[in-house]
Amino acid sequence: MTPAATPSAIVVDAVSVERNGVRVLESVTTTIDAHRVAVIGANGSGKSTFARLLNGLIVPSSGSVRVAGLDPVRQARKVRELVAFLFTNPESQIIMPTVAEDVAFSLRASGLPREEVSRRVIGILRHYGLDDLADRPAHELSGGQKQLLALCSGLVREPGILVADEPTTLLDAANTRRVSDALIALPQRLIVVTHDLALAARCDTALLFDRGRLIAQGDPGELIARYERELC
Amino acid sequence: MAGPLSLYVPGTSPLHRLPASVKLLGLLIGGLVITVPRPEPLLLGVAAAVLVALYLVAGLGLTELARQVWAVRWIIVVVLVGQLLFLPWHVAALTSIRMLLAILLAALVTLTTRASDILEAIERGLGPLRRLGVRTERIALVLGMAIRAVPIVIDLASEARDSQRARGVGGGPTAMVVPLLVGALRHADDVADALAARGMDDDEEPVMLEGSERLRGASRRPPRR
Amino acid sequence: MSESRPFSLSLSDLTRIAVFAALVAALGLAGAISLFGNAVPITLQTLGVMLAGTILGAWRGAISMTVLLVLVAVGLPLLSGGRGGFGVFLGPSAGYLLGWVAGAAVIGLLAAPRRGARPRPWRVLVACLVGGIGVVYLIGVPVQSLVTGVPLGETALLSLVFVPGDIVKAVLATLITVAVAKAYPAAFGGRRAATTPSEPTTASKTTA
Repeated sequence: MTPAATPSAIVVDAVSVERNGVRVLESVTTTIDAHRVAVIGANGSGKSTFARLLNGLIVPSSGSVRVAGLDPVRQARKVRELVAFLFTNPESQIIMPTVAEDVAFSLRASGLPREEVSRRVIGILRHYGLDDLADRPAHELSGGQKQLLALCSGLVREPGILVADEPTTLLDAANTRRVSDALIALPQRLIVVTHDLALAARCDTALLFDRGRLIAQGDPGELIARYERELC
Repeated sequence: MAGPLSLYVPGTSPLHRLPASVKLLGLLIGGLVITVPRPEPLLLGVAAAVLVALYLVAGLGLTELARQVWAVRWIIVVVLVGQLLFLPWHVAALTSIRMLLAILLAALVTLTTRASDILEAIERGLGPLRRLGVRTERIALVLGMAIRAVPIVIDLASEARDSQRARGVGGGPTAMVVPLLVGALRHADDVADALAARGMDDDEEPVMLEGSERLRGASRRPPRR
Repeated sequence: MSESRPFSLSLSDLTRIAVFAALVAALGLAGAISLFGNAVPITLQTLGVMLAGTILGAWRGAISMTVLLVLVAVGLPLLSGGRGGFGVFLGPSAGYLLGWVAGAAVIGLLAAPRRGARPRPWRVLVACLVGGIGVVYLIGVPVQSLVTGVPLGETALLSLVFVPGDIVKAVLATLITVAVAKAYPAAFGGRRAATTPSEPTTASKTTA
């Protein structure tokens, strides 16, 4: 599988973000064209803000963001069709009461016939081993299952890009492994903000943030080493 | 069992299979027949007989009927005591029986109908409002989100209680409810982000006439002058 | 921001409406006490109704309480003591439940006529007393009288038992509202402005 389905690059040009008088991102410029990209850095370094720029959840104070040529703020709807987002806490991104309902919710505006919706829902749940739980209340799932459900609900819309913000932070070791494996296996372009350096190491390239600045971009192994040496 | 968050008792009786909308209509008519006329022994006797028959048809049996009566025993007792202070005893008794019958009839619908089926019936019933510009699917969305939020808020509440105990703070409700509320509000705002990320726009709503430019992108932008 | 139009609900409005409906349900689990001589149990749920009005405002508070009542009606056991189903709307407390919707609306109107305004304690207290007690009883008592057959005046007399408890709840609701305004200022600004959920550095501290 290749990232051929993913349209062209993400281009971030001189983006700064200011919130309540505090600069949380300082003049970030980068082009992302790799399949799997890790975003690493300490708490408060601006990683999560960077991730949220990519689907318009955060608006740049200056500079521009283009995702496959689209502006995430002005063309929010199109960008959010293209970019799925996985948050840290699955609890707040599972919206409907039961597993299947939550995945189906993502397709509510798709105009697909009912049978096609449930076919896709069951298909993706089966792929991630959740099909037996389809009619169960979401709150009965384990943490790892919830995060996989959130992933299903994002992927069922067949996005070209997945942005994940610390998707394994709240999970135990076994579930971290399951979710990481699922992310790394995606055919989509993956941008994953993470403190889990093992997950970062499995990516093709990495971005290293420090105090609101993008200070390096390149091979994950080298950047992880630098992060541990200089910033920990 | 259908889980703690439901009063539905699974079954395959004719009452279970009846469409939710028919049962709701039946409840409306039955409720009116029982509660509107003056409470007469004959009417209430017939109603009681029909009710017992319906519980049997639904396969719920007399045990479930007894359980339902038992569940509202305090309400009945307490109402009866209040009535006896002010009303002749036979009027008090008939009014209490009337109320009990109405509650049992409503319980019959609740016991034989899935909550999701009733919600669907409501959504369909609201369909005509679409023409007036009401987005009925948003109503369904909010109802679904509320059901989903109940166990989460319960977790937040027990967390708030535990941390209050752990800090050894006194047990006033304020000390528990404030962190609970803050947690609930933060959760609500996180869910709003997740909704946006899943392609739901602030301006998806055509009845929103405010500048969509501002609402679409600027939800997180601090006001600028 | 002037948001007087009732149906210009943003996504965070929708989620807050849903979460507050759940919150009032959760407060019901704290338990109910039935007082002798009356059929309406005392619960923390009415505290939640007051908070829905003070924090969400009139429209959102009223919609939120409607959502809760719809869920109760369809058979979810979300009222104190695990009560639910259509039956509760045919029982003696039906009017008080409907009063929650109107009560939350009146509280919202009196407590914060303008959205985004910081709550002032005395206003909030008056709002909770008028909306959370006055309005709720105004609807609750006549309906209770209808259902039980006890004349209006006597029903009102019986319901007086609950007024002291409700006054305590109005005071609590005021204290809590003011505390929440400090702990999570975005509660009254509509949308939080500057927190990134997963970055603890920006998470607001709870000062309970």
